[in-house]
Amino acid sequence: MTTDVFVNSDSDNLSMPEKTAIEADRLTKVYRDNIRAVDGISFSVKQGEIFGLLGPNGAGKTTTIKMIITLTKATSGTLHVLGIDVFKSPETVREMLGYVPQSISVDTDLTAYENLLIFSKLSYVNKTERSERIRDALEYMDLSSRANDLVKRYSGGMMRRLEIAQALVNRPKILLLDEPSIGLDPSSKKQVWQNIKQLNQEFGVTILITTHDMNEADELCDRIAIMSEGKIAILGTPEELKRNVGGDIVTVNLASTPPTMSLPKEIGSIILNNEKSIQILTTDGEEAIPLIADFFRSHEIRVESISINKANLDDVFMKYAKRRLEDDMYKTTRRTRRDFVRRAR
Amino acid sequence: MNIGRFLASSITIAEMEARKIRHDSTELWTRIIQPALWLLVFGETLNTIRAMPSGNFSYIQFITPGILAQSVLFISIFYGITVVWEKDVGILTKLLSTPSPRSSIVLGKSLAAGLRGVFQAIMIFALALIIGVQIRFDLLDIAGVFAVVILFAMCFSSFSMFLASYLKTRDRMMGIGQALTMPLFFASNAIYPISVMPVWLQYISKGNPLSYVVDAIRSMLLTGTYRNLPVDILVLVIATVVFVILASTTIKKLLE
Repeated sequence: MTTDVFVNSDSDNLSMPEKTAIEADRLTKVYRDNIRAVDGISFSVKQGEIFGLLGPNGAGKTTTIKMIITLTKATSGTLHVLGIDVFKSPETVREMLGYVPQSISVDTDLTAYENLLIFSKLSYVNKTERSERIRDALEYMDLSSRANDLVKRYSGGMMRRLEIAQALVNRPKILLLDEPSIGLDPSSKKQVWQNIKQLNQEFGVTILITTHDMNEADELCDRIAIMSEGKIAILGTPEELKRNVGGDIVTVNLASTPPTMSLPKEIGSIILNNEKSIQILTTDGEEAIPLIADFFRSHEIRVESISINKANLDDVFMKYAKRRLEDDMYKTTRRTRRDFVRRAR
Repeated sequence: MNIGRFLASSITIAEMEARKIRHDSTELWTRIIQPALWLLVFGETLNTIRAMPSGNFSYIQFITPGILAQSVLFISIFYGITVVWEKDVGILTKLLSTPSPRSSIVLGKSLAAGLRGVFQAIMIFALALIIGVQIRFDLLDIAGVFAVVILFAMCFSSFSMFLASYLKTRDRMMGIGQALTMPLFFASNAIYPISVMPVWLQYISKGNPLSYVVDAIRSMLLTGTYRNLPVDILVLVIATVVFVILASTTIKKLLE
């Protein structure tokens, strides 16, 4: 009993207010040629949450993560991890973080076990705990049976899981995942998502992920910051953000190209006008459909079909960043493919 | 910086390389072909025509230390390419994201170069034995040669990593590696004594670190007179420390 009292009176965990996991204040990174990769962003990640940075490639997500893991220096602003200044004590900060970079970064010429062994030594995991932690991490990521195979014989999904296992051996309080499911097939993606959620729920690991995939953000994140051109466009829970869009999107497919027109206010507003389809933002999709049908009939425009899309994060993104994520994704996949071909030659 | 942690991390980086070599040692074995050709073809030929004033020793004896130094130079000068490669595949990013200090990555890599150098030395000793080159197989001298080889490999591999921080691509590193190795080799006392060189080249050769390495190895393997040895080793140690420190401060540039 006495020891309990002692522990309570002395404990700083209970008496002190909980520290913020990551706190960024007016964080800015300007590369040479005056490119403002990250432009004065402020956000805070609470302990125990999954926080997402969502945005297209080039929005500044990876630069933000690299500043947190101290791989690149900020031009201005402040950054704290669990209350510690990242720029003043980079090595202490790196010791508290687990980091999974965007591209595969495990050493494919070593076995999975060796990758974890080397990494745990470089992270100064206590010698007595090392083998147990490696075994746990392998088991947890479902890699035990292939632990002694060279990693070059692994599939993409297994490599990604090994990366996460690697980030786990130093038992980080905060895990930084840069595009964790990029390039994975749907089933591997599901498994990685499952692992991420489990880590967060079972062990209370705070997780910061970056992604350009709104489904991933919607599925995993407690809170999301949408980034566009180095700035945070909006920040909130997925539900808040979706509510913010202001309703559902009704897509009207037409038989012919319509003349330019404007809709009456009570129906909604046109947000996208393609050759043969019009997207209308409405407060309530179901109620708007008869009104829309009447409107087009009275203007003698033939409608082929009408569909409702409940608001998703892509719509949120479009509202705040004024473009579709999918368009960017299309462009970047083509660009990466070209890079790949160039490198293979 | 905590010295214990720094050394532990450096050794771990070297261990990482050693484990890779254990999985696939093809490269190590192919590295022996070139020095073997120098000794067997070039050395044997010039040995028979006695064109070089190699003092009290046969020409093949004279060049054995030179060829050893040259092959260690070739291994280490291309270490920058390895680092650029590791950057391209993301391994370097991972290493730099650990709490280990940056300098331990450079020191660890250069230790690994030293390890390869020692293997190379063993192979050349074996070759010398097989073709009957007379060298002094004194235990202390052999240990001394290993020490010089390790220092030399560390010196030039960190120099190469330093260059890689600025050049950043494998193609450029290939180019600069080729451009450096041959002049260093021919402007040294590796395959002919400095006394036969034209005067201008003699001056260059005096500033060439390879000359000091060859001189140190030659004194231990052939002459057994250690008069120049302290100077040789001092030059080598200073150059190694300077390049390890330089490369440690610049290696982060590779990621930018």
